[in-house]
Amino acid sequence: MNQEHKIRVLVAKPGLDGHERGARVVAYGLRDAGFEVIYTGLRQTPGQIAKAAVDEDVDVIGLSILSGAHLLLTREVINNLRELEADDIIVLVGGVVPENDFSELKEMGVTEIFTSGTPISAIAETIQNTTAARRNAS
Amino acid sequence: MFQDDEKEMEKIKHAEENWRKNLLEKRVERFNLAKSPTTFYSPAALTKHDFMEKVGFPGEYPFTAGNNPFDFWRAFAEDAAKMGYRPDWGGAGKVGKYGGFGTPADYRDYLFRMQSMGRKGGPNIAFDLATQCGYDPDSARAIGEIGRVGVSVASFRDFQIIYEAYTGDLDIDKVPSNFTINAPAAVIIAMYAVLAKKRGIPLEHLAGTPQNDILKEFIARGTYIFPPRQSMRLFRDICAFCVGHMPRLNINSIGGYHIREAGASRVQDLAFSLANGKAYIQAGLEAGLEVDAFAPRFTFNAFGGSMEMYQEIAFQRAARRMWARMLKEEFGAKDKRSMIIRQPITAHIGCSSTTLNRPLNNLARAVVGGLAAGMSGGMPGVYPPFDEPLGLGHSQEAVQLQLDATRIMIYEAKVADVNDPWAGSYFMESLTDEIETDALAEMKKIDDMGGAVAAIESGYMQRAVARSAYERQKQIERQETFLVGVNCFTGENEITVNVNREVEATYDPELMKTAEERQKAALAQLKQERDDKAVSGALATLKGHAADPDKNLMPGICDCVEQEATLQEICDVLREVFGEAEPVKL
Repeated sequence: MNQEHKIRVLVAKPGLDGHERGARVVAYGLRDAGFEVIYTGLRQTPGQIAKAAVDEDVDVIGLSILSGAHLLLTREVINNLRELEADDIIVLVGGVVPENDFSELKEMGVTEIFTSGTPISAIAETIQNTTAARRNAS
Repeated sequence: MFQDDEKEMEKIKHAEENWRKNLLEKRVERFNLAKSPTTFYSPAALTKHDFMEKVGFPGEYPFTAGNNPFDFWRAFAEDAAKMGYRPDWGGAGKVGKYGGFGTPADYRDYLFRMQSMGRKGGPNIAFDLATQCGYDPDSARAIGEIGRVGVSVASFRDFQIIYEAYTGDLDIDKVPSNFTINAPAAVIIAMYAVLAKKRGIPLEHLAGTPQNDILKEFIARGTYIFPPRQSMRLFRDICAFCVGHMPRLNINSIGGYHIREAGASRVQDLAFSLANGKAYIQAGLEAGLEVDAFAPRFTFNAFGGSMEMYQEIAFQRAARRMWARMLKEEFGAKDKRSMIIRQPITAHIGCSSTTLNRPLNNLARAVVGGLAAGMSGGMPGVYPPFDEPLGLGHSQEAVQLQLDATRIMIYEAKVADVNDPWAGSYFMESLTDEIETDALAEMKKIDDMGGAVAAIESGYMQRAVARSAYERQKQIERQETFLVGVNCFTGENEITVNVNREVEATYDPELMKTAEERQKAALAQLKQERDDKAVSGALATLKGHAADPDKNLMPGICDCVEQEATLQEICDVLREVFGEAEPVKL
């Protein structure tokens, strides 16, 4: 029944990090790739992001973090989603993330981590595949 | 032009036409191309070039060939080689290494340790994001940010603790202080002034540079607090205060670098940063100052850069000429120091030119930027270290390679032995004119919108930069532009070359973990110990001043600082009067 349903993506900048290039580029790119994209703008708290994700009924959240605070901020977003019973929303992380932190992010529930040099088509593909799997499961 | 010259030019034009038809076009046809993959510039490209008007001698208007006959560092290059000088160590009377982390005490202790190892530069402080955005450590907005990308400074007490590392030979009348701070720059400058007062040092002895370039924060870096127009009120007041009381302190450090890194094109970078500079000049004039009273105290951080070496050389030449002409012709500056772009580095590739894929290649990339710098009036500085995209903190190995590459260009390749080596090149002069023309057209557009402030209020600059960033990404994904190891030459026969990389344990990770809790506790203690009545009195006075546009806010901010009001309390009072800046939607 959901043939017409456009996949909805929230691109979000948690914390005070002002590096916005990646978030904006990904937002434009995913929009052109046919997704419904909502961009939060800078300086959102984890609580605001989780609430926006629920209010906007998104399938995916893409967190963009370049300040080094990715572990704490991502955990907070996921905790907030859990409190709102929305932890089925797929969480992706992009930015400057050292490889050493990948496993910890995945353990807390992040589906994929994208670092510099990733083509938008790769992000789009991940979103297509994971959201399809999520729909089939539900 | 003489008649003979004209005849000669006709001959050249004729020859060029024949060459195009008989040689170039046939070759293009032979290889079945849509157009020639290369260009060639003959004197015909530059028929009206007036050397004195367009270039001039190094150190003379319009400064296209450089700010000086030769630079300070070049005068002592041989001595530096013989004594084994390392620029990352800093030196007495010099700017120290940029840094900051944790609580003020953590950073102070780190500075003591560095000083014992011979690093003796002045304070060059990186502030954490909470400080940069005007939030105290106990704010809900600051969770996870305290002491992370810089040191946390919530009060004058914090500022004083850092400066415990700067006494005696390193006292504040002997070494300059650099502050990478923008939205709350007025508060940090006030702390510096109050510190001088407490130490009995006359304000006119204070030297240094606050970044204080709020306009580019809206376009690129994102640490704004108040709306653009109100932010410029603060700039105006800082400008007047510095000119009146702290004449050795630079007023700002204008950055095009951040704007390009955020995705701006070369022309946008040039036009937007000079338009910002123009807005700061207008703010100084609005404060009732003569242009030559403050413009010599404007500095530039750096413009942005890219891998396109020729274009970046032309960019630097055009930038110097445009700024000089604007200051002289539009603002009537007479002092040469008002007309020059003072910046620590000229061209470079910009961190966004580095790649995470096959990262050692970034050394080759940065060398190209250094070459462009050496050929455009600067030190051939190789920047950044190759491991820049691998996460915060450069390894000792990467820094060593970066330093040595710069030295090889200076001492072995002798890149910096000639001033403006491209002067007179048919190609480079044409390219310089072209970039200047395009940037002037973009500046005119901004002028017609009402200037940089209006162009930021409407979101024009922010959206233009975002669109350019996206266009570039699309070009990369369509292979219209090539990045080695990213979108080409990625086959299975290519290998990744690694070098041993020991990340310098710059800052103690255990201290970083506990900094937030410790800094919150220190803040709670401050709030217990200070005179609350004096604090609220000073804040109320400041609020009154903020509501009166004719008042200079600096004395009131100094008073709040001295009474130990916190950074956020001061910003909150101003937020109440000025409102807050809104993030721009796409």
